[in-house]
Order: sequence, then structure tokens, then C-alpha cells
Amino acid sequence: MPDDRFFEPEIETLPRASLAALQEERILELVPYVYERSALVRRKWEEARVKPGDINSLADFTERVPFITKDDIRQFRDRAGDPFGGLLCTDYHTSTTVFSTSGTTGDATMYAHAWDEWHPFWAATARDLWEVGVRPGDYVLGSGFKMRGPLYHAEQMCGAIPLMVSTAIGGWAGALDAIRRYRPVCTTLTGLAMAELDHLSRSNDMRDVFSSFKGATFAGEPLGARARAQLESWGVEIFLWTSTGDVTAAFECRQHDGCHAWEDCVLLEAVDPADGSPAADGELGELVATSLDNPITPMIRFRSDDIIRMTREPCGCGRTHARFWPVGRKGDETIVAGHCFVPMDIWRALEQVPETATALFQLVRPAREIDELRVRVGYDPELTTSLPDVRDRVADVIMAAVGVAPVVELVPEPDLLARGRGGKLPRVVRS
Amino acid sequence: MTLASTTAAAATLPRHRLWGVSRYEVAGQPVYFEISWEDRRRDTAWARAMLADHGLDGTSGLIIVSGMPESAWFDPVETAACELGTPFSIGEIWSFEAFRTAMYASRLPITMIFGMDRTVAEGLGDDLASLVARVPAIGGRPDAMPLLTAAGARPFTVTRLGPALAVECPHRSGAHLDGAEWALAERDGELFLSTVGPRAHQASDAALGLRGTVTAGRCECGRTGQRVTITE
Repeated sequence: MPDDRFFEPEIETLPRASLAALQEERILELVPYVYERSALVRRKWEEARVKPGDINSLADFTERVPFITKDDIRQFRDRAGDPFGGLLCTDYHTSTTVFSTSGTTGDATMYAHAWDEWHPFWAATARDLWEVGVRPGDYVLGSGFKMRGPLYHAEQMCGAIPLMVSTAIGGWAGALDAIRRYRPVCTTLTGLAMAELDHLSRSNDMRDVFSSFKGATFAGEPLGARARAQLESWGVEIFLWTSTGDVTAAFECRQHDGCHAWEDCVLLEAVDPADGSPAADGELGELVATSLDNPITPMIRFRSDDIIRMTREPCGCGRTHARFWPVGRKGDETIVAGHCFVPMDIWRALEQVPETATALFQLVRPAREIDELRVRVGYDPELTTSLPDVRDRVADVIMAAVGVAPVVELVPEPDLLARGRGGKLPRVVRS
Repeated sequence: MTLASTTAAAATLPRHRLWGVSRYEVAGQPVYFEISWEDRRRDTAWARAMLADHGLDGTSGLIIVSGMPESAWFDPVETAACELGTPFSIGEIWSFEAFRTAMYASRLPITMIFGMDRTVAEGLGDDLASLVARVPAIGGRPDAMPLLTAAGARPFTVTRLGPALAVECPHRSGAHLDGAEWALAERDGELFLSTVGPRAHQASDAALGLRGTVTAGRCECGRTGQRVTITE
């Protein structure tokens, strides 16, 4: 039963040894189940000469079971004509919903769940919203997109009332009206939403608008320093969250010291991106996820391409489940004339130029190593009087940040926002 | 495990009488409306009957084209699909999300698309014709009907009427409204809505900002309530 701090006190503060025992029990059930049913798992395991009988402990599982990558899933899908890329362990008609990843990288993958009342992807998120302070009878504004299932289920699990108005691109003027009428306590923000709120802040008292909020969750992209400062100036406590390898979601608690992965739901690993060996606690590694609670399309040692730092040290909030800090996407590093940088370097630079301070940009990159740095940058037409002047200042700050003179393509912000998908703007594009 | 434990924890909390709050616009002005859990239960039962009339069952596959802000209208359809044993996917109502509807329709054994609007129909571009050829039943919003028809579909109408949803049955003689919940009036081609059922949101002859015609009398499907055809 929920208490003042925890939605599920016993599970959220389970001692590590008990958590490991719980995971091992589930993994040992899962191993023969997926080997029998998942065509991709069986193929990968046969290639690696691993049989279910070889896996008798959690340690066996993380040492011997081969990884599955998104490319494995796509290749299986395309070669075998299997829409689920060999992950489906049941018949399609056994599932309740089939949803998909955002498709920001251009090719969404599908996964399925079976459920009666609440969507499993968001079930554990009730714990996170409870931590933000969502309580029975509270209103919660919007819920973003539905492509991963209805996030408002987590709000309703907390006893709250979803305020179902648009918080997507172009919806925030109306959302502010809803906030003033219903005084919600929480919402979900994205980088694209922040660009719109930045404009609305010129004609609205944002401290007053957000005065009813206990917090806002933010996901999809890194939160830039300027946007963070802006939200803090509006009195909004930000809770970062991210996907946990497409298995579930992980949110910060009020300690703001990493995102909590719910390890009764997902077996989380961080591995060296190059050789797959375990990354030490606190070191950089690639997030690898195994679903512990999805019998329809379980991910088994799924390499997410997300680079994280992870710790299993207990959090100051009292929760014992692993925490991680998203660092970036594998392959996001770009090399130009020997200079290596990540998109966040450009993000910080653009925040310094008032006309581009919302940091809407795309790095145009046909390959990881390129001869010429091309950046497509959104500018605010209301603030811009001279495009050549803005272009020069943008080029200067990027040069200072990454050590390479860029070719800057300036695009009005609304035009760039229109290239967003699922609340996110692809930051690295091929053209 | 997680789903079971969180569901059990949620069940110990007091459930507010409201399932959610949503909004529609009339002449650019927002009209907010509340939906109770009881409203949603009845809306789901009605949606289930409409989907069943279209042949949805445990062998079907469904795409619902809608966005989160439309959940007041379409969540009952989702739940009805669950109850009928029909797996469903959501195709969001943005042109840049049209790819998702196309992806589901091309990769999954989809037998119905429900709620296709003009934005997604246009966003599908050249893929619309092949999608129409592949999917046996398509429920379109009024603004998508010309495109769907031109692409070779024989769509049935799905339309929002203020806080209500109206859906054509397979006989396609006007979109049915749940007569136990709502009543429509037409004056000079303008549509006005009143609540009949015990809904959290009560409306009395509320202008919808829509033009259409209202038909009463028995439909071939056996329903006797009002049907509506949106004309603009």
C-alpha cells in the first residue's frame, strides 16, 4: 500500500540481495520460455552455442547469453518477413496492443503487450509519479504521445485525473489555458515543448502559470542548461526520465541523482560498447536490458545503443534499484578533421546566441567521420533582424565549442519544429 | 510481477469519480468537459457494440488513428477492442506520424483502421492507395472521406460531435450516436447537442460549430436512434 513517499514501499526499497534473488528466479523461468518461443533468441543462442540448460544462475545469464541489437531485430524482420523481428513469443492475437519506438532514427521497431486494465509499459511509472507528488484527486496535464501506450494510465493508477489536452507542438497556448482552469500538479515536457514555452513566456507570467506544479518530467532529449535555468526560474522542479532499453521507463526521484530503473521489471546491465564486457559501477557503458515482465515480446539482453553511467548503490531517497545517467547515443560522436564532439557540445554553443537559444538544430552528417561540419540551426524570426549577422555569431560559438568552422544553414524555428517526430527532433541526420 | 504489484497498489487508493477531463473547440473557443469512470464504462459498451457490428473479434487487427488529447473519444474504442480480443495499435494524428499507420498496416494483419483523418491520409501520400487496398474496413473522419473514396475505399464515418463520438454501422446510412447518452438537434443546418444520460458533463442544446443533417428512424442494423451526416 502506498505511503507518503513510496507507491510500493516494500518493492522500491527491497534489499539488493532480495532483488537479485527475484531477478534470478524470473530469469530462470524466462530462459526456457524464450528459447522455445522467440525465433530470434533461438537463432542467436544457437549461433553462440548456448542452450537453456547452460543457464543456471543470473551470472550464467549475463556471462553466456548473447546480446540482441536493434539491427538483429530489423534484419530478422526483413529476412523472415516477421513484423516483430523474431521477438514475438505468442500469437499476434494473444496481444492486446502493438506499439512502436519513436522512429526518430527512421525505422521504428514494434513490441507487444497483453493487459487488462493498465498498460504494462507505464505500470511502474506510477511509482515515479507518486514520487513527484501526484496524489489521488490531483490533475495531471497531458501525457505526450501515445505511441508507447497511454501514459495517463500511470496517472490514473495514482488516483489522479488526466487533463487530456494537447501538449504537442502548437498546443501549449491552449495547455496554458487548461493549467489556469484546473491547476494541475505535473506534466511531461520535451525539448520541442520548451521551444514553444520560451515564446509563450514573453506574454505570460510563467511563475504564476506553473505555481500549482509539484514537478514536471522531461524526456526525449538532454535538457540544455538554458532550458533548465528557465524552468527553475518558473519554479518548476524537473524530473528527467528516459526509456530503459524500450522495456519500461526510468525517472529521477527528488534526489535528482540518476534515473531509477525498476529492476523487478527490467534486468539492467551496462557493458563496454566495444567488447561487451561489464562496465564497472559508475563507469560509462552501453545500456543492456532484459524484460522481466513481458511474456509477449520480451527483450533479451537488448543492446539499446544508449550510453549511460550506472550504479547499484542505494539512492539517498531510500530506493535500492539501480540508477543510471543517460550520456548519449552510441555513434553520436562526430569526427571532423580530427576533432571529436557530441551533439550536446553544439547545443550548449547555440544557447549562447539569443536568436538560436532554444537550441533547435540538426547535425547534417552522412557519416561519423566527415570533412565538413554542416549544422542546420533554427532561429527565432521574432528576434532576428539580420540573418548574416546571426549566421556569423552561430559559426563563431560553434567554432569555439568544437574547434571546427561550420557551414551553418539557418531555418525558421517553426520549419525545423515541423521535422520533429514523437516529441523529438532528430539531432543527427544524413541530409 | 511489476504489473501485478503496481495494479494491486493502485487498487488500494481512492479512485476519483472522474476518469479524465478533455476539451473541444467551438469557433476557436475551448469547451471543457469531464468524463466519469461510469461514463467511460457506458461509452466502452457502446463502442464495443459498434465494433462488433463491423465484425471485429479475436481474429481481427485494428489501428486507431487518434492522439492523446482525443482519448476521451477514443479510449473507449481501445478498451472495446481489448474486450473483443482485437489487438490494436495507435497511429497518431500528425502528418509526420503517418508513417506509423502505414507501418502497422503493412506489417500486421490489420482488418480495420478506425478514425483516419485528412492529415494522416495526406501524410500517407502515394501509400494511401495501397493501404486502402490492403485493409478491408476503414473508418474515416469527415474531412478524410474525399481522399479515402478517391483512393478506392468505401469508408464508414467516424466523427467527433463536441464531447460525443458518432460511428456509422456497416450499412453506412449516417453515423450513429449513443441515444442513451446524447441527443442532437439541427437548426438551419447547424448541429446542437444535449446530454440525455447521467454524464459528468451536462450540455443543453450546446452549439457544436458543425453543420450536418440528422436522421431518425430505424436503421437496417436495427438501431432506432439518431444518425448524423456531417456536411461541412
